[in-house]
Formats: sequence, structure tokens, C-alpha cells
Amino acid sequence: MTLLELKGVSVHYGRIQALRDISFTVDEGEVVALIGANGAGKTTTMRTISGLLNCSEGSITFGGQDITKMKAHIRVVHGISQAPEGRGIFPGMTVMENLDMGTFGRKDRTGVGRDLDRVFDLFPRLKEREKQYGGTMSGGEQQMLAIGRALMSNPKLLLLDEPSMGLAPQFIRQIFRIIKEINNQGTTVLVVEQNANQALAGAHRAFVLETGEITHSGTGKQLLEDPSIKEAYLGVG
Amino acid sequence: MSMTDGPTPLRTAAAEQAAEEREASSKAAGKSDLGQRGRRKSGSFSDRWHALSRQQQWAFLVVVVILAYLLPLFNPPIITTEPGNNFALACFDMARFALIAVGLNVVVGYAGLLDLGYVAFFAVGSYCAAMLTSPDSPFLHIPYLWTIPIAMAVTMFFGVVLGVPTLRLRGDYLAIVTLGFGEIVRILATIIPAMKGQVGFQNVGHPPGTEAGGTPIFSNSNGVPWYWLTLTIIIIVTLLVGNLERSRVGRAWIAIREDEDAAEIMGVPTFKYKVWAFAIGAAIGGLSGALFAGQVGFVNNQKFDVTTSILFLAAVVLGGAGNKVGAILGGALVSYIPLRFTAIAEYKYLIFGIALVLIMIFRSQGLLPARQRLLAYGRTALNKITSRDAEPKDTGIPPAGPEGRVAGQRGAEA
Ligand SMILES: Nc1ncnc2c1ncn2[C@@H]1O[C@H](COP(=O)(O)OP(=O)(O)OP(=O)(O)O)[C@@H](O)[C@H]1O
Ligand SMILES: [Mg+2]
Repeated sequence: MTLLELKGVSVHYGRIQALRDISFTVDEGEVVALIGANGAGKTTTMRTISGLLNCSEGSITFGGQDITKMKAHIRVVHGISQAPEGRGIFPGMTVMENLDMGTFGRKDRTGVGRDLDRVFDLFPRLKEREKQYGGTMSGGEQQMLAIGRALMSNPKLLLLDEPSMGLAPQFIRQIFRIIKEINNQGTTVLVVEQNANQALAGAHRAFVLETGEITHSGTGKQLLEDPSIKEAYLGVG
Repeated sequence: MSMTDGPTPLRTAAAEQAAEEREASSKAAGKSDLGQRGRRKSGSFSDRWHALSRQQQWAFLVVVVILAYLLPLFNPPIITTEPGNNFALACFDMARFALIAVGLNVVVGYAGLLDLGYVAFFAVGSYCAAMLTSPDSPFLHIPYLWTIPIAMAVTMFFGVVLGVPTLRLRGDYLAIVTLGFGEIVRILATIIPAMKGQVGFQNVGHPPGTEAGGTPIFSNSNGVPWYWLTLTIIIIVTLLVGNLERSRVGRAWIAIREDEDAAEIMGVPTFKYKVWAFAIGAAIGGLSGALFAGQVGFVNNQKFDVTTSILFLAAVVLGGAGNKVGAILGGALVSYIPLRFTAIAEYKYLIFGIALVLIMIFRSQGLLPARQRLLAYGRTALNKITSRDAEPKDTGIPPAGPEGRVAGQRGAEA
């Protein structure tokens, strides 16, 4: 079943057009990857879906409901949660406070404890560091915190913007394993990645974004084998 | 919502929290040396404070409050501002600044909105009181005390009217626009005939009551009753603001201050909460304006310039943005120093400028850093998140403490 659908979405920064007529869907239970060069518009797409940016044209539906005009803080309540690019944790709050902020929009307080266990199971490091300030955590730990915090709202759709940014190779593999695990637990994931190899290998489907337009789409496997993509994004040719 | 004001509800929790703070500060790698030192110094104070029992904390606060009330009667040597300035009036001025700082702290300290035009709200409050009580005013006249809630309501309204268009801006843009508003109010007071420009309004009203001799209790020359009134208001406002700070609203403000976009995608209606911060701050500014107008008895357009705005901001930053006790201290100091040291009063902007630079270098969080408060909230966050521990659990799981819980469950699953 289609969970998220973008139809003809265009986004402008002032007069600069960052997204041109983007259309794609994300089905329930999928991991979908979005890859593309720097400045292609991946972050813009994510921020448009989470509601931090408005589309100038087109529409977004989520779970059958038109959310094009919906404010970002309401979209969380409906089940869209984002771990922003550059992590965007609250540096002056402790790990626990950051996680608590993740529950700000939720109505069912009863599930909070269960989700906290889930986050601590996925990231035991956060459990060890629960009293440390977010801003003093290492880059990788902050990334875990950002993902954990996004999970605390118990989202239907998790948006991850470059979760592997700045991470050591072993950390990157771990992050992709965790994405898989989160997905197995029933959360749909849309992930933006520079690490095209890993992302395509781990994703059910993927899209390639080039200067604001979708140029390729297919299953992860198909794209991995596509020669033009190999050349441009996978560093082999 | 409890009306108690204090960081933690339990002695054990308080001790834990102190330990937490030590631990956190020792873990605060990546902080500069200076930051470390600053943190440690405040740590020792808060350690001592948290080592006290709840009763001791309250007893301490009660003594401080009583001493504060008695301050103008004692007129303690060395501290006194006399002969240069009447000490009771100086006390009122300090209290007025402290109240302003508490209000501005909501805007700047909690929500992180740099407001350089806060004097506008102070001015609106002053004009409200003046135009509704002064015989010079053509409007209807009402008893002075009624002007206080009216001034608050009107400034709150102004806060919303100014906030709605401007709070979509961020950072520097917001600062510049608010700077503009600070000036606009003063200029309007100059050009609107009904506001009487420099001529102003004389004989602004005051609370009722006369002494045996027939002179009013709340006279312009007697600072003591005005000081007591303002001090009482500060206590009430601080308790209310403290409750807000520990509530959901306070968490939202702190999140907005830390990272507005992140707050928004966590489900915080950031715009709404920013407008609220602006409106609440404005109301407190208007309140102090009305008190000021009543005490001085005269309002014209000369007292509401940009430098006054900056002085208010200096009070908040000096005391420690985000900490209401710090704001009170900062406000009182900014008012006290030029009154006490009249010889240097002329240079007060120079002195506060230097003081601010030094504070920023050596103690960038202000005299009383705000972190303490946030930790208090962290404790409630932890309690709230783990509160389901109270629910019955499967047997075979070790006693549920925040530590044992997850490990225990994993053990059970294995
Ligand atoms: N606030 C902004 N104002 C103007 N232009 C912007 C703004 N943010 C992004 N852009 C432009 O929009 C385009 C897409 O940016 P976006 O951040 O979405 O790229 P990206 O695909 O996420 O890149 P990266 O891989 O480097 O993160 C870029 O050309 C960028 O310069
Ligand atoms: Mg990006």
C-alpha cells in the first residue's frame, strides 16, 4: 500500500528552483533510498516531506491524506519523523532530554517506555551516555541520537538524511544494519545517502536525483547494475 | 501544576542530580578550558544548594525574601546608595529592573529570541498607566491599580501584533526588526498629539491609601511601599514563570532556542510558542512600565530610547540568560551600580560594555548559568519516560530501576 506519494512537486528557494516536478511513491514497509550528487536536492526533498519547506507546486499525500499544506509539527503527529542532515540534535540537552523531545508530539504516552527500550536496544551506546550533553557526543553518537530521537515519536515513516555522514566505515555498516532492523520492526524508511553502494544494497527501491529531477528509478539491485549509475555514483566504470 | 519553586522534588533526586551535574561537567569534553572552569564554579554552588534538604532550601529562600523586604528599612552602610540617591527609591529602581529582566529573560533566555526593542513594551505599559490616570490625559480616568492588568493586556496584545509578522524571521533579522519597533513606539509618542510628546503626563495615579498626616502612602518620594509592591509582584511573576519553565511550554522554548527546525519536526508548534514567549515577555514589560509610571508620576517620550533596551538586555545576559534568578540579579545590578557609584554613573554604558565583554570571555553563560534548570527538567524527563516502571512486570525481571530495566529485559528475552 502506498504510504507516501509526491506528485509533481516543485520547490523554490526564492527564485532558485531546487526541485522540478518530482513524483515518486514510498510503499508501506519499504526501505527507499534517494541518491544523488551534492546539491541535487536530496535534503530539499526530505525537508519538503517533513514540512520544513513548502512546495511551490504539486501535492504530497501521506496515508491517503493530502498533507501538502500541513505544518511540520502536525506531520509528526501523523507519523512522519525526520533525523535531519547534520544531525540537528539539541546540543545543550542531555541524551535523555533529547529523546524526551522526540515524544513531544505524541498523544499515546503509554507507548513511550516501549519505544525507549527499542531505541536503547538499537543503540546501547545511548543508554550508556544518557546523561551526557548531546553537543559533547561524538559525531557517530550524535547520529545515533538523532535517529533514536526520531524513533521516539513512533513514526510510520522515518526520514534519514545522510545517516552515514562523517562516520567511520565500520560505523556505516552498523548504521545500515540498524536501518534494516528498524524496517523489520515495521517502520517504513526513506533514506538519503552518498554511500550509494550500501544504500542501494540495503534498499528495496531507489531513486536517483540529478539537479532537482529524478533521472533513474528501480529496485536497489537494478540500479546497482545500471552502468550509468555505476559510473556516476558507485565509483566503478 | 505545583506552585513550589525549586529544582527537584526529592532530596535523593537532588543529590543524584548534583552527581549528574558533576559527571556531566567532567564528561564535557570538547568544551574549552574556560567553559570548564566556569561550569565547575557554578557546580560547587549548586552542589551545596542541592545538598540541602527541601526544607532547608525553603528556609533559605524565606530568609532571603524577608531580608529583601527589609532591605530599604535597614539601609545598610556601604551597600547604601546615599547620600547620592535615596536608598528606598534605589531599591524600587532595582526591583523594577529585576522585573523587566525576568520578563525579557522569557523572550531572550528561554525562547532564544533576540529582542532589542523590549523598551517598547515598557513604554506601552507606562503610557497605559499615565493616560488612564493622569489629569493631563483627555481619556477616561480609572483607579491606578486597574491600570496594571490593563497595561499587561494591552502590551500583551502589542506583543502578539508585533510578534506575528516578525517571529517568522530568525536571528539577526528579528533583532533588527525589534530594534526598529523600539524606536517606533518612542517616535509615535512624539508625533501623536494625544501622547503629548515631551510635555508628557504629570501626576500619574498611584495605589490608594493615605498616612495619618494625609499624604498618600504611595507617594513619589517614598520608595518603600513601591519597592514592596514591586518585590511582591516579582515573587509572584517568578513563581509563575518558573512553573511555565518546568512545563511543556518551557521544554518547547528551550528546544526552540537550541534548534528551531529540529524543534518543529519534533512536533513543537514553534511559531505559536514563540508568539507566546513574546506575549508573556511583553506583558511583564508592560507591568513594570505601569509600576514605573506610578512611582515616578510623570511619563514623557524621553525615557524609552534604544540604549535603555540595550541596558535591559545587558541585565539578562549579565545575570545568565535562561535563568530567572540570574535575571533578577542582573537586573538589580545594572540598576544598582550607577546609583551606588554616582561618580561613575556617567560612564555606565562604558562600564557595562566592559563588564559584558569580560563576562562573555570568562563566563559566557552569565553570572548564574541556566544549565541547572535544564537539568531539573532532565530529571522530570527521565522520571516521566521511566514512570511505567510502576506498572506490574513479568516475574523474573530484576527490580526495575532506570539502570536495571533494559538490561533486565534483555536478559529475560535471551
Ligand atoms: N536555503 C537555501 N537557499 C538557496 N538555495 C538553497 C538553499 N538550500 C539549498 N539550496 C540549493 O538547492 C539545491 C539543492 O540543495 P540540497 O541541500 O537539497 O542538496 P543535497 O542534494 O542535499 O546536497 P548534499 O548531498 O550536498 O547534501 C542546491 O543547489 C543548493 O545550493
Ligand atoms: Mg543534503
